[in-house]
Amino acid sequence: MEDHLQKDEFKRDILIYFCIIAMTGLIVFISHLQLKVAGIFLIVPIAILEAGILGYYFMHLMTKKRTVHLILLLTVIVFVTLLFWPAWDVVYSPRTPSEFTKY
Amino acid sequence: MEHPTEEFIPYIIESRPDTGLYNAKFGIWLFLASEVMLFGSLFSAYILLRVGSFSWPVQSEIQNVAIGAINSVVLLSSSIFFIRAWVALKADDIAKYKKFMSLVILFAFVFLTLKGVEYYQHFSHHEYPKTSVFLGLYFLMTGLHALHIIGGIAVNSFYIGPGLKLREINKQWFINRVEVAGLYWHFVDLVWIFLFSTLYLL
Repeated sequence: MEDHLQKDEFKRDILIYFCIIAMTGLIVFISHLQLKVAGIFLIVPIAILEAGILGYYFMHLMTKKRTVHLILLLTVIVFVTLLFWPAWDVVYSPRTPSEFTKY
Repeated sequence: MEHPTEEFIPYIIESRPDTGLYNAKFGIWLFLASEVMLFGSLFSAYILLRVGSFSWPVQSEIQNVAIGAINSVVLLSSSIFFIRAWVALKADDIAKYKKFMSLVILFAFVFLTLKGVEYYQHFSHHEYPKTSVFLGLYFLMTGLHALHIIGGIAVNSFYIGPGLKLREINKQWFINRVEVAGLYWHFVDLVWIFLFSTLYLL
């Protein structure tokens, strides 16, 4: 019984593996299309989906306890807050040319 | 026979009733949360510097996208091998466990070699971290990630070498340790997915 379950899990993992590889191929293809801003809005969600699938299945987030979900939820809240905090400054500051921002 | 430590430190094998996790798993998830913050701060810096700059290179033109994509497959394959190693360990098949864990380590070295090739290509074009903001971020973020890979190689090598002695003391304790190392390894893979899409394709 356990052997069967392990075989089923292995099949699922292989399927997930090829699914993530296919998505990697897809974002490389989208990048080649040089869509600029539209490309960002396509590539970023696919990358998030890829990482989500990896975490959900390979890191077994689907079966993890509430404690883990709580730790991750708090991390995401703090991270997103810190990420967008400086955005306020970027939006309301006039851009000044400097050596630092020059490519 | 239980290891004497079991008597003094509770929940190193069984899960705590309140958290549902054993100590090491609780610890690794807290550690991974801090890692999210660490890499998150760098991604945040990337976004802000890019938004605030007047010009930004077309990254896919100065990056070797092919090597980056191959590295994604390499790291993802190592994750699959890790799962197989853990399943083999749970089934008490040590030979298979060692085989798959060796593959994990081998693929990690392949990843680092390809990363080295990329760095070499950049340096041969006189592209250094000081050359531009983008390259500074690129070398910092991928370098930090490579350090994590090296750390993973050290841990995984320990668990097919001297670390195996723990299995003689308590099998489940060892299985738990390998599971925790696996969570770290998958996380390193997960970070690479974001690094690849952010630093190579956008």
